[in-house]
Amino acid sequence: MINEAALRSRETDLAVDPLASPASEPLLRVENLSIRFDGAPKGINVVDDVSFSLAKGKTLCIVGESGCGKSVTALALMGLLPTPPARIVQGTAHFEGKDLLGLTERERADLRGNSTAMIFQEPMTSLNPAFTVGDQIAEGILRHRKVSKTEAWERALEMLRRVRIPAPEKRLRAYPHELSGGMRQRVMIAMALANDPQLLIADEPTTALDVTIQAQIISLIRRLQEESGMSMILITHDLGVVAEIADEVVVMYAGRVVESGSVEAIFEDPQHPYTIGLMGSVPSLGRRQGRLATIRGSVPPAELMPKGCRFTPRCPFAESRCATEPPPLVEATPKHHVRCWYAPLEQHRGAVS
Amino acid sequence: MLRYIARRLLIAIPTIILVSVLVFTLQQLLPGDPVLTMAGEERDPQVLAFLREKYRLNDPIPVQYFVWVGQVLQGNLGISLRTDIPVLKLILTKLPVTIELAIFAMIVALAIGIPAGIISAVKKGTAVDYATNVVALSGLSIPNFWLGILLIMLVSVQWQLLPASGFVPPSEDLWLNIKTMIMPAIVLGTGLAASLMRHTRSAMLGVLRSDYIRTARAKGLLGHVVIWKHALRNALMPIITLSTLLFGELLAGAVLTEQIFTIPGFGKLVVDAVFNRDYAVVQGVVLCTAVGFIFMNLLADILYVLVNPRLRHAR
Ligand SMILES: Nc1ncnc2c1ncn2[C@@H]1O[C@H](COP(=O)(O)OP(=O)(O)O)[C@@H](O)[C@H]1O
Ligand code: SF4
Ligand SMILES: [Mg+2]
Repeated sequence: MINEAALRSRETDLAVDPLASPASEPLLRVENLSIRFDGAPKGINVVDDVSFSLAKGKTLCIVGESGCGKSVTALALMGLLPTPPARIVQGTAHFEGKDLLGLTERERADLRGNSTAMIFQEPMTSLNPAFTVGDQIAEGILRHRKVSKTEAWERALEMLRRVRIPAPEKRLRAYPHELSGGMRQRVMIAMALANDPQLLIADEPTTALDVTIQAQIISLIRRLQEESGMSMILITHDLGVVAEIADEVVVMYAGRVVESGSVEAIFEDPQHPYTIGLMGSVPSLGRRQGRLATIRGSVPPAELMPKGCRFTPRCPFAESRCATEPPPLVEATPKHHVRCWYAPLEQHRGAVS
Repeated sequence: MLRYIARRLLIAIPTIILVSVLVFTLQQLLPGDPVLTMAGEERDPQVLAFLREKYRLNDPIPVQYFVWVGQVLQGNLGISLRTDIPVLKLILTKLPVTIELAIFAMIVALAIGIPAGIISAVKKGTAVDYATNVVALSGLSIPNFWLGILLIMLVSVQWQLLPASGFVPPSEDLWLNIKTMIMPAIVLGTGLAASLMRHTRSAMLGVLRSDYIRTARAKGLLGHVVIWKHALRNALMPIITLSTLLFGELLAGAVLTEQIFTIPGFGKLVVDAVFNRDYAVVQGVVLCTAVGFIFMNLLADILYVLVNPRLRHAR
């Protein structure tokens, strides 16, 4: 059994080994990223051994319930985590050949809002109430480009047009409180894209918005991505959106990647009990729409985190070994990785019965 | 904006009326018959009756109140019993001195308190934060008179850099006037800097946690822009509130410092009046202070609008 585990983990190593596929170097390659917060129990990382990569022009969706470490991962990539209390325990994040996590704060700031950009979940509070929309967009342009103030404001106006804000000339001089949530999120998008980033990280950009606005914002982001050819990491709860726009999917549970692969693989052949739970039923073909299904129970707090598979307390397939030995991330089918002792489930169940 | 200010002014009116009623009541409650005081040795009932009639003391109290308000509105605050000088004139000669001192003290307080508060918020939990807090706490606990005497002994007596006391009107010698203001302003200002620092620190800590600060950093803005532009602007409201309150207190409360540096200001006027039971002066001073506070509040309201665009559109 131990040999089998060793064998499987060796496969994993091979699968994430960058040397294995030197032909197409991805835009972003995150490897073995682990983050902990000061005060958390010893050895419990909020983000644990997370790896994924993203090719140029592609979209990676990260899904998982609240508290699974999606935002912490995204903020760490942007260099926006407060350190302390957060600490990067290990890992690298190569972006255009540089390890983001190894840069100085100044070098990171030079990238932020320039070649990497981020939009957030809370449009209502993410804009500074004391400054006009135009000022807030233009200052990001002035920070990274050698342009005059007038040119920066012209660019800001152009960005407001591109995010389809009505009466953009007027909105340029508006304060955030004069705009609705949807409009504010458009402003955030305009701000993020003003310097033509190669990577956009969108952390649940529609969760706080009215249902009617959500689809508009998603299709706007989608269209802007097609226009610019940038890569995107989209964190979302909406499986319909994932099915529609993702190329790759990463499923996170309690800080770990439990399943990752192409959108087809994840939707047509989900392997991990958690992924299956999220989709609301046993594995079957065909894409599902709508929000994540609710799974009984909740993500355990750090103090109660099981030593083995973190999904053990909620897993209908859990067996004694799950609680004590953490399963490795193994390649179930080519480019489709699963972190479960009993994947693929069909085979395993078949063998049991 | 103008409508906003007009509304603030209207709101101030009931406060002013309440203050005037209180001051008037105080006057009624004072021991002794004002007519007897005025008449001095004279005890002729006819004279007393004449005086009573002249000052309308036989009228019902509410009527007397309106008569008094009428006089106050005309600038007649009565006459100092001890010096025979009209109270308004006394106040007008002393108040500018104290206002000048208060302005200098506020400059010292703001120049120390705000940067110190920002630094300790940004460096929260580090040695810098603790050091700033220790210094601030000592600043709060050192009594003004002690710091004043210390400064006089060092700066004036030992090093002979600044005059130890006395006051020169700016019209006479501006430079000398400023030199006499420096030490009292430092004494008053450092005391206030400590509480300004603590308020700035907590306001900044709140603001630094907010989402728009994260957005500012996500744009790649450098630390000083994030702090001095994005954060400070939003932390200013409580700082303004406190500053205007402190300024109001400086006007009435610089008594001890004015005594130490023998500055003929408002504080000294109050002390002299209280000790001499010069009630007319006390009353005028109370009225003046109350109006001053109301004015400072109005100033704060106007400053709020300048830093917070959301208020500009308030009804
Ligand atoms: N500043 C912080 N200090 C301590 N714990 C934090 C902090 N920020 C996030 N966490 C913890 O990290 C975990 C992951 O959070 P997050 O990444 O926001 O989840 P989500 O997947 O919903 O985006 C949560 O359990 C949360 O409690
Ligand atoms: S390892 Fe065990 S507990 Fe974890 S998901 Fe697989 S079956 Fe469930
Ligand atoms: Mg989140």
